[in-house]
Amino acid sequence: MSMQATSPNGFAARALAQTVWRLLPATPFALVLLAWVIGWQIIHPIEETLPPVTGVLDAIWQRLKDGELERHILASLGRLCLGAIVGIVTGIIGGFVAGLYRGVSEFLNPLVVFFNAISGIVWLPLMIGWLGIGTALAVFLIWNTVFFIVFQNTVLGVQLVPEVYEQGVRALGAGRWETIRSVILPGALPYVLTGIRSGLGFGWRALIAAELVGTPDGLGQMIFAAAEYHRSDIIIAGCLIIGLIAITMDRWLLAPIERRTIQRWGLVIDTQRESLR
Amino acid sequence: MTAVVTRPAAASPFAGLAALFAPFRGLKILLPFAVLILMWWAIWASGTYSAQVLVSPPAVWNTFVYLVTHGVLAEYASTSLTMIGIAAAISMLVGVPIGFAVGVNRYAAHALEGFLRFLQGISGIAWLPLAIIWFGFTHVTTLVVVMYTLIVPIIFNTMIGVRAIPENYTMALRSLGAGPLRLVTDVYLPGALPSIVVGLRLGMGYGWRALIAVEMLVRKGGLGDLIFGARTFGQIDRIITGMIVIGCLYIIVDRLIVQPIENLTIARWGLLRK
Repeated sequence: MSMQATSPNGFAARALAQTVWRLLPATPFALVLLAWVIGWQIIHPIEETLPPVTGVLDAIWQRLKDGELERHILASLGRLCLGAIVGIVTGIIGGFVAGLYRGVSEFLNPLVVFFNAISGIVWLPLMIGWLGIGTALAVFLIWNTVFFIVFQNTVLGVQLVPEVYEQGVRALGAGRWETIRSVILPGALPYVLTGIRSGLGFGWRALIAAELVGTPDGLGQMIFAAAEYHRSDIIIAGCLIIGLIAITMDRWLLAPIERRTIQRWGLVIDTQRESLR
Repeated sequence: MTAVVTRPAAASPFAGLAALFAPFRGLKILLPFAVLILMWWAIWASGTYSAQVLVSPPAVWNTFVYLVTHGVLAEYASTSLTMIGIAAAISMLVGVPIGFAVGVNRYAAHALEGFLRFLQGISGIAWLPLAIIWFGFTHVTTLVVVMYTLIVPIIFNTMIGVRAIPENYTMALRSLGAGPLRLVTDVYLPGALPSIVVGLRLGMGYGWRALIAVEMLVRKGGLGDLIFGARTFGQIDRIITGMIVIGCLYIIVDRLIVQPIENLTIARWGLLRK
C-alpha cells in the first residue's frame, strides 16, 4: 500500500482504477446501446418492430418540441403526487391509530391483508364504472396502492418502538400526547419512510398500468396509443422516460431522505444496515 | 416489502381462557369481513342502485356459485395460476444463476446494479405495448411481461445476497480445495437463499399485479380478462366475484407457498434476522 502511494506510477494506477470503478455502472447501458446500433445495422428490422436509436431520439425530440411530452409527463406526475399525498396521509394516520390500539389493529388486520392483495390495478374494472375514465380513477388506484404499504409499515414501526423508551419518558412525567410526539413518532419514522419509498414504487407502476386504458393522457396513455399505430419508437422513448422518472424519484429524492432520517433518528440502524447492504 | 416480525405472546392471566377460545380464532378473522359485508348490504338496501352500479352480497354469492358450477371460474383461474407458475419457475431458473454469476464478481455487481435499478423502474406493464407489437395478443406477450417483472427483483436480490456473504467463508472452502460447484452449493446457495426468497416474494407481488393488468388488455383468458370482460357488459357481480377470487388466490399463494419457504430458509440458515 504505502509503496504504491509513494511512487507516481501507483498514484496513476489508483486514479485509473478509481475512474474505471466510477464508470463501471455506465457499461451495461453502453453495451445495450452498442448492441442495438450494430444489431440494427446488420439485421435492418422493420422500423415498426424495432426503430434505430436515432429514431427513438428523434421521437423524444419531436414530442419535446411540440410540448406533448411535457404535457404527458406533467399529467402523470400530477396524478402520482395527488394519489401519493392522499395515500401517505391516510396511511400514516391510520397506521398510528392501528399501531397504538392493539384492538383496532387486530380487528383491521384481516381486512388489510385481503385488500392489500387486491390493491391497485384489480380495482380498475369496477372503478371505471363508478368514477369514469380520468384523473379520479388514476388517483384512486394510486391511493389504494400507496395506502396499504404505508399503513402496514407505520403499524409495524409504531409497534416496534421499544416499550422501555415509552416508559422512560412517561416516568419523567410526559403525558400521552407528549409520549407519542417525542418517542413513537421519531421511532416509527424510519419505517414510515421505508413504506413511503416502497409505496411510491408500487404507485408509479399502478399509475402507468391505469393510464394505459383509464385516462385520456399521461405517459401510460402515450405508449398505449402509440401501440395502435405501431410506433415502437414512441413506446421505447416512453419506457425510457418512465424508468428515468422512477429512478430519479427513488435514488435522488427518497433514498437520501430515508438515509438522513435514519442517521438522525438512528433507532433501527442495525436492521436497516443489514437490509440495505 | 414489509418485514414480518413475530413477537412472543405475553403471558396473560387470561391465557387459560384464550386457550379455551382457540378453536374460535377463525371467527376473529371472519368478524371484520362480516361487518364489511353488512355495511355493503346496508348501503345497497338504503338506495336504489341499478345492477350496473352496485349489487347485493347475495347476488355476488349467486354469481360465484354459477361461475364455479359452470366451470368458468376454474378455467379463468387456472389460466392465471399457470401463467404465474410458469413465469416464476423460469424466472428462478434463469435469474438465480445470473445473480450468482454477477454477485461473485465485485466489478460485475457494481456494473450491473445501476442497470438493474433502472430496469426495475420501468415496470413490466410499460413494455406491454411493445410486447403486443412483437408477439401480438397472445400468451407469449403475457409471459414475457410477467417474467420481466419477476426476474429483475430475483436477479437483484440474489446478487445482493451473494455480495453479503462474508468472504471468509468462500476463502475457507477454497483453501480446503473446494471447486466452483462446491462453492455454489455450500456457500452461495445457502448464504444467499434468504435474500433470493425476498426477491421472489417481491417479484410475486409485482408479477401478480402485472399479470392481472396484462390479462385485462391482452384478453386471452385469466382472471384479469374475466373482470375486465365483465365490465364491457356492466356485470358488476362478476367483477366483484373476480376481485374476491383474485385476492384469495394471492393470499393463498403468498401464505401457503412463498411464506413457508421464507420461514424455512430463515429458520434453517437464519442469516436475515436474528
